[in-house]
Amino acid sequence: MPKVDITVDGRPISVEEGSYVLQAAEALGIDIPTLCFFKYVKPYAACRICVVEARDRRGRTRIVTACNYPASEGIEILTRTPRVVAARRLNLEMLMSRCASMPVLNDLAAKLGIEKPRWGTGTDTCILCGLCVRVCDEIVGAQAIGFASRGAARYVTTPFEVDSEACILCGACAALCPTGHIRMEEAGGREVVHSEITLGPNAAIAVPFRQAVPNAPRIDPEFCVHFRTGGCKVCAAVCPKECISHDDADRTEEFGVGTVVLATGYADLDPAPLKQYGYGRLPNVITSMEFERMNNAAGSTGGRILTERGEEPRTIAILHCIGSRDEDHHPYCSRVCCMYALKFAHLVKEKTSAEVYQLYIDMRAFGKGYEEFFHRILGEGVNVIRGKAAEVVRAGEDCEEGTLLVRCEDTLISKFREIPVDMVVLCTALEAHGDAKEVARRFGISVGADGWFIERHPKLGPVSTTTDGVFLAGGCQSPKDIPDAVAQGSGAAAQAMSLMTRGEVEMDGAYAVIDEEICSGCRLCNDLCPYGAIGFVAERKVSSVNPALCKACGTCAAGCPSGAIRALHFADEQIFAEIEGILS
Amino acid sequence: MSFEPNLVGFLCTWCSYTGADLAGTARVKYPPNLKVIRVMCSGRVDPSFILAALAKGADGVLVCGCHPGDCHYVEGNYKCQRRLPITRRLVGEMGIDVRRVRLEWVSASEGKRFGEVVNDFTEQVRALGPLRLQEWGFDRDAADAELAHEGGAHA
Amino acid sequence: MQPISSPAELAELRSGIIAARDPNHIWVQLCAGTGCLACGCEPVAAAFRQHIHDQGLEGVVHLKLTGCHGFCERGPLVVIQPQGVFYQRITPEDVGAIVEQTVKHGRVVTKLLYRDPASKTRVEKAEEIPFYKKQVRLVLRSNGLLDPTSLDDYIALGGYAALAKALTMTPEGIVDEVKRSKLRGRGGGGFPTGLKWETCRRAKGEPKYVICNADEGDPGAFMDRSVLEGNPHSVIEGMIIGAYAIGSHEGYVYVRHEYPLAVKHLSIALGQAREAGLLGSDILGSGFGFDIGVSRGGGAFVCGESTALMASLEGKVGEPRAKYVHTVEHGLWDKPSNLNNVETWANIPLIVEHGADWFASIGTEGSKGTKVFALTGKISNTGLVEVPMGITLREILHDIGGGVPGRKKFKAVQTGGPSGGTLIVETRDARIVHSLEEAGEIAPGETVTSLLDLPVDFDELTKAGSMMGSGGMIVMDQDSCMVDVARYFIHFLIEESCGKCLPCREGLRKLHEILERITKGQGEPEDIATLQEIADTLIDTSLCQLGGSAPNPVLSTLRYFRDEYDAHIREKRCPAGVCKDLVGYAVTEACVGDAKCAKVCPTGAISGGPRSLQVIDQAKCIQCDACYQVCTFDAIARVKRDRAEEVQAAAKAAWRPVKERGRAEARA
Repeated sequence: MPKVDITVDGRPISVEEGSYVLQAAEALGIDIPTLCFFKYVKPYAACRICVVEARDRRGRTRIVTACNYPASEGIEILTRTPRVVAARRLNLEMLMSRCASMPVLNDLAAKLGIEKPRWGTGTDTCILCGLCVRVCDEIVGAQAIGFASRGAARYVTTPFEVDSEACILCGACAALCPTGHIRMEEAGGREVVHSEITLGPNAAIAVPFRQAVPNAPRIDPEFCVHFRTGGCKVCAAVCPKECISHDDADRTEEFGVGTVVLATGYADLDPAPLKQYGYGRLPNVITSMEFERMNNAAGSTGGRILTERGEEPRTIAILHCIGSRDEDHHPYCSRVCCMYALKFAHLVKEKTSAEVYQLYIDMRAFGKGYEEFFHRILGEGVNVIRGKAAEVVRAGEDCEEGTLLVRCEDTLISKFREIPVDMVVLCTALEAHGDAKEVARRFGISVGADGWFIERHPKLGPVSTTTDGVFLAGGCQSPKDIPDAVAQGSGAAAQAMSLMTRGEVEMDGAYAVIDEEICSGCRLCNDLCPYGAIGFVAERKVSSVNPALCKACGTCAAGCPSGAIRALHFADEQIFAEIEGILS
Repeated sequence: MSFEPNLVGFLCTWCSYTGADLAGTARVKYPPNLKVIRVMCSGRVDPSFILAALAKGADGVLVCGCHPGDCHYVEGNYKCQRRLPITRRLVGEMGIDVRRVRLEWVSASEGKRFGEVVNDFTEQVRALGPLRLQEWGFDRDAADAELAHEGGAHA
Repeated sequence: MQPISSPAELAELRSGIIAARDPNHIWVQLCAGTGCLACGCEPVAAAFRQHIHDQGLEGVVHLKLTGCHGFCERGPLVVIQPQGVFYQRITPEDVGAIVEQTVKHGRVVTKLLYRDPASKTRVEKAEEIPFYKKQVRLVLRSNGLLDPTSLDDYIALGGYAALAKALTMTPEGIVDEVKRSKLRGRGGGGFPTGLKWETCRRAKGEPKYVICNADEGDPGAFMDRSVLEGNPHSVIEGMIIGAYAIGSHEGYVYVRHEYPLAVKHLSIALGQAREAGLLGSDILGSGFGFDIGVSRGGGAFVCGESTALMASLEGKVGEPRAKYVHTVEHGLWDKPSNLNNVETWANIPLIVEHGADWFASIGTEGSKGTKVFALTGKISNTGLVEVPMGITLREILHDIGGGVPGRKKFKAVQTGGPSGGTLIVETRDARIVHSLEEAGEIAPGETVTSLLDLPVDFDELTKAGSMMGSGGMIVMDQDSCMVDVARYFIHFLIEESCGKCLPCREGLRKLHEILERITKGQGEPEDIATLQEIADTLIDTSLCQLGGSAPNPVLSTLRYFRDEYDAHIREKRCPAGVCKDLVGYAVTEACVGDAKCAKVCPTGAISGGPRSLQVIDQAKCIQCDACYQVCTFDAIARVKRDRAEEVQAAAKAAWRPVKERGRAEARA
């Protein structure tokens, strides 16, 4: 588009021909009030608040709307003439006589110098700016709402006044509505009071949570309007650096590596199947991870500890060993829970005046400074009860509504106890990922019955695995706390580095060789070898082993009908000698 | 003093041998009757090894490998799984109770299970009593010589 | 029918049709326009058929149902050709006489002729009737002559000759011809048609569309309807010529669904034209291709606005958009689109056939040609009139329209549809003159008597505060309250505003609120200024011309009838006695005691008995106006509400029975 020179309030600016006057004014920092304008939908020019005077080169002056008046060579725009101001004021006054007193109108009135609207205010909360209708049509592409009726009777509604099937519940209309006339409501009138339960912002494009790594927004295709209707892409239009692409897709990339460090981490046990604790069924029963998010200063409560009703709890029970040390779930100790539970107690004491109950089987404060921390917590007045919680139930009518009862046996005093609390934190077990077995198979390593990857040797090879070049780090090997995970990770990295810096792999002396004198060329061994290390040498009519490919399993040696294959280091006579030796 | 059987075990180095190692570090108690020979894979266990062990005085032979699908060498344990029944039939035809030869899958994490397997096998062979091949007229030296000859042929 | 593949073939066909018609045959041209249909022309047609059949005249006498003849006031109408006898207000019972006398023996049935109220003589021929005499019927020329469902009729009357001529010209030549003719858009805006065509022809983008706006929404207007119903081929021919000139191959007629007869006749005509090779891929063998589709609108007034019409054509909600970018460049489906009104299109064949100079010779300097008006309201001859531009209001209203019926006086005429203006056509008192002086409309001391001598053309009407519009002309007499008229039109516009832009939606609502208050006697002196302020903002800031011209009813009545507003606001009085909340009814001494009023009074408020003065019980009176309407002696007075008792008391004092009165008057 060619450039044209125009002036706005006497200030010259060069803009693209046909671009709108409002943009030129914006570029000059000249404020033109608007009501129905939104940058990413087509200008609608319905509110007539953005009117300005335009004088063309022939000297003709007329009132136009800045939002959609195209710039042409030599036009002069005046944004504050008495005629313009009077028109804006009167239009707003007329609108206010229809609509209820609302911030968006009152603010604009103040800006235009209307002290008191002449005709009072009406009751309507919709200003008929059409933003909702247009965003639904132009951006979302759903066309689920529109205007009905004509003239003063006009209103926004769904087709035929019934819940629209075309609505994809994106909420764009409600988000753009300047007056709050359109709201998102949950069907059935359920009140959403505990938004952190949903963990994190719920825009379709967002940084998953604050302090996320990498700290960049991502698009959730399940909620992104573009992936549902093919429209929108407002985020891409907004981004000044053009960083957003909707065409990017997940893709698989292949590259060769010499070493692999498996650090696939662990999973949290879902406590819902442990029905006795009421997770997902009773309010204010949350997992340790949810409690951790709540405590995060960047979390949705801003780090405050709150019940679902948004109140500060007066009593909190922290239940240890949920799914750990439990014959029905995981027999092992999850190792980290005792200490973080104590940390929770400390945080609660620091932030609130709530009573804290710790229900434990054994207090495992094994690390450096841990026992001291335990004693410090005891000093802070935390109630520590030795006994695993049996169940959590809703308190009876004699308690305040919403109170929970934690039942347990205090094994130190051999008494059954019922503790009324406002919130229960479940210290859920750390468990292996469900697909750990599959991962192990891919990497040729072993996996235990619990799903943890097995190291080559519990004492001598704690970071390496049965497959050369594959190392383990962190929670995928077993539950561990941060220092342990860091130590193991460092070890794995160091081992991997040492392999890589060497640049070459020293081959084992163990591999199979074929005695060509004896080999009959039957090629049985060719099919036996899973690595394709044995090939047939046609000119000599014998088979031959490629030592670089051979992994020395010896299956070929055991299968050779003529005994022509010799598994070095595990040769027949060596085995026979061993048999001889151990039986003599 | 009851009969203490003399048992030979062929353990694959990746699963069963590590499992046995774990049994040790885990302080699992099991009878000392089993003498272990480490092989890279259960697929390396040549039937002649089993026969040789029995011939040289073993009362029972235990072969342990990775669980099906877990083989470090992809499918070595399957080869073993197909060879063992044939070996057992051969042993049976020789008049030896087939229960003296046994195949078990023991993974690296199954230290406890390894102990149980050894325990069970020891008790089973103990109940079967000594093999006593010589008493049936088995000439061990002749057999040795024959084996030596075969071994020579290999070389 | 074989497609006509060249202009020569068309001429051949025409002479063939004419030759085949026996000059001795008699044609009964019965008007079957909407007005006459409403007056009952169908039974008349049936009676004609019956009589023709009974008399064995089939094949010799032909009944032709034509389009609107225009003189709707006197319908049903029939013209017997070739004598050209014009009968009016005929009933099925009259048909026998017509067939027997006129058709069979060429004698005139005098009692069915039109009687000129001025000369009190019967008039035999249509062109001698004052209603037709002053008209110049160009667009409507063939309406009464042809059967709208017959292509042969149209061709016989020279139809499609203009198209044949146009196809021999260059497109630029046609545009130039239309430009030189100075034809201006008949839809209301008065934009020069040739200029529009030229811009559209030059606009970038393909395809281009030509559109015919037949969304006639003004109350009381039926010009476009009559043309489409009575002579659809003239519109089609105009559109084909326009498309050829502009370079378009696709056209649409956007017509109201409420015009079923127009849709029917248009569809028939389109089918005939396609069959005859006048539409399609190779029109008259010229290689030029064009076709027309019909789109029916739901009857929204705003869809007469070009951008709203195009939105509606596209299947969207009929709402206007800003016209900063013109539709001739970005119109229908964002392509260059040339939209003209039905009447404009119907003028095109005339211009092409007779030449620009001929056309430009009719009318005034700024407005050429003729204009069709729908004359309605308080006028003797309601109907469709076509007059040359520049004719005075007096000629239209008095000579053609025949003046106000009864003894009432002209007060005002409203032109240009609901958003047009109301013009004064009677002498006003000194106050209005004063306010006009103040407004600078007239020189001090000058007396405005009336605008009756205003020449009717685009510019003069606009100057006078009204507009040409599409040609509605509503005449009002002394019984019309101008504030109420303004309120009525604003109310119409509220209903018909699309509601998109704020000033139109809210401003009209506000205007109506204030006007309603004034008519209820609750007006404040500052209301006038507020009306003016809102009206100015509406004109300045409305999105489309519906809003931009919507305040015209208020502004024009304020300009010419300010005194009526003042009477309402300051005196709480409605001079015309229309505003129910202000008016009271009183029986005056003129009462003869026939008690007609007492019989019609729905609330039994009138008493007095026969041959004596009637009295209205003010407590029971609901101001329904029934007594006023029924009294033949003008003995019911509409007075200011609180003066009703007073007037009645005075009447009681002065009233005398009719017998005595006669003598007293005789003595006087």
